[in-house]
Amino acid sequence: MSHIHIPDGVLPLWLWGSGWLLALLLVTVASRLSERADIRRKVPLLGVVSALVLVAMSTEIVPLAYHMNLTVIAGALLGPVLSVIAAFIVQVILAMLGHGGVTVVGLNTLIVALEMTVGCILFRSLIRILGRPRVRPVAAISTVLTLALSTTALVGVVWIGGSGATQRETGALDPQTLRFENPLSEGAISNRLFSGGEDHGHEEEADDHEASLNVKRFATVVYTLGPLGWLLEALITAGILGYVARVRPTLVFEGALAETRHTIPGDETGGR
Amino acid sequence: MHIGSVDESAVLGRSWLHTASPNAKLISLALMLGAVVTTWNALVVASLALLLMAVVTSTDLKPRLAYGLAAYPAIFAVVFALSSAPNALTGTVIVLKAVVAALAAVIVVLTTPYPQVFAPIQCITPSVVGDALLMTYRSTFLLLEKFSNLMRAVKLRSGLTAGHPIRTARATTRALGGLLLYSFDLAQRDYDVMRLRGYEGHLRVGRVRGLSPLRDALLVIGSLVALTVSVLMRLAATELNPYSWIVPLIPLTILITAIALKWRNR
Repeated sequence: MSHIHIPDGVLPLWLWGSGWLLALLLVTVASRLSERADIRRKVPLLGVVSALVLVAMSTEIVPLAYHMNLTVIAGALLGPVLSVIAAFIVQVILAMLGHGGVTVVGLNTLIVALEMTVGCILFRSLIRILGRPRVRPVAAISTVLTLALSTTALVGVVWIGGSGATQRETGALDPQTLRFENPLSEGAISNRLFSGGEDHGHEEEADDHEASLNVKRFATVVYTLGPLGWLLEALITAGILGYVARVRPTLVFEGALAETRHTIPGDETGGR
Repeated sequence: MHIGSVDESAVLGRSWLHTASPNAKLISLALMLGAVVTTWNALVVASLALLLMAVVTSTDLKPRLAYGLAAYPAIFAVVFALSSAPNALTGTVIVLKAVVAALAAVIVVLTTPYPQVFAPIQCITPSVVGDALLMTYRSTFLLLEKFSNLMRAVKLRSGLTAGHPIRTARATTRALGGLLLYSFDLAQRDYDVMRLRGYEGHLRVGRVRGLSPLRDALLVIGSLVALTVSVLMRLAATELNPYSWIVPLIPLTILITAIALKWRNR
């Protein structure tokens, strides 16, 4: 499993706020670093690759709560720098369509950018070591390792956000203290709100309602279901990259920006 | 992905919310998200849900589309809640929060054309990001249609049936590979067009004003009230929690009124 969409309002403000700031900073840096490439080539390429990832993410396998990502493919095509921008774009559009939280766009951007960047680096490194004929196993290995890393990053985020260090009074509802009576009939507001109230027993019960997440159980579920998703994604990625490597090798092995010659459809090898 | 229906609803709708200012809607979305994020009280979250349902009813949005999109994150939220929530009530609140936050975002997207939704993001990010956002949205339509056509062609030519999962998986993977090649050619064509038309960066989005500033103000004030209630219920939880049952009454009344008005105007 690549990443579970963490709902809004679960993680503390400082964590998702930091995620947003860091994501915006990384996107700005990536935009500056990519200034060497022609903007007229970058923008449409970013657009279609991000759209490809969006199309893949819209197909889910419900029992596993897993959906395809194609992030390793996107990373191999775009390279590490443009991958950060694509990750941000994908998360913003998914959040607006209700697929993933709005407040956690920053954190999700960081995790997906990590997948794309590490996927790209692993794929290109392993291709250099094992050779181009082994593109399928290289793609599969890169995908599994990348997704394992991003899943660990996800568990790390939940651990930071939900551990005992961040336990706090949450104001959660206690059904046992519900009183279906008129709160104004006995001057409840003046007596309770401003004088501190007489019922101190319930305050202790309220203090017990701390929504600290069970990180150990979460990690167990993620690492149990995750490998199934990693395997599926690895097979799909290997199949796609293997097919594209046969038809248009420069696209896979050198990235999309390396193709500057305009190829005529059906003549991808240039008559050779 | 219902992106075509989303776009149709945003562009062709004529309700009071469609004609509201995009800025007012985005500010209200931020305030509602703040209300959702602040509270852990199940009845307060349920109140926010009822309020948003009243908005959906009053704006004649397609309920199946709006609630369908909003319910989607529930799939993942349930897995997250089951695996990490300390108790059943907290797990329920986690799922409710995901759905309510998604519903607020979906309402904005269903009533606002996408360039207006992405315009504020263009203000705080480099121009390549803002332009790529617009290109991505456009490209998604094209790729979805292409993928649908590819899969139909693959199924017809390969004679795929449910009894051949490996053949189906292989054919689907090749279709995705074909889609990737098509997407790269699409990017190349877009590059040629942009070069011809003199694009040098920064696709400008024209700002749209709402029809009624009073309506925009009321929208923002309503969202601010929701946030204030959520914050109060959190800060004074010990004193106010026993009377949490009162909070859903007002949005419930608003929802019933909206349903009654819609029924009368049918």
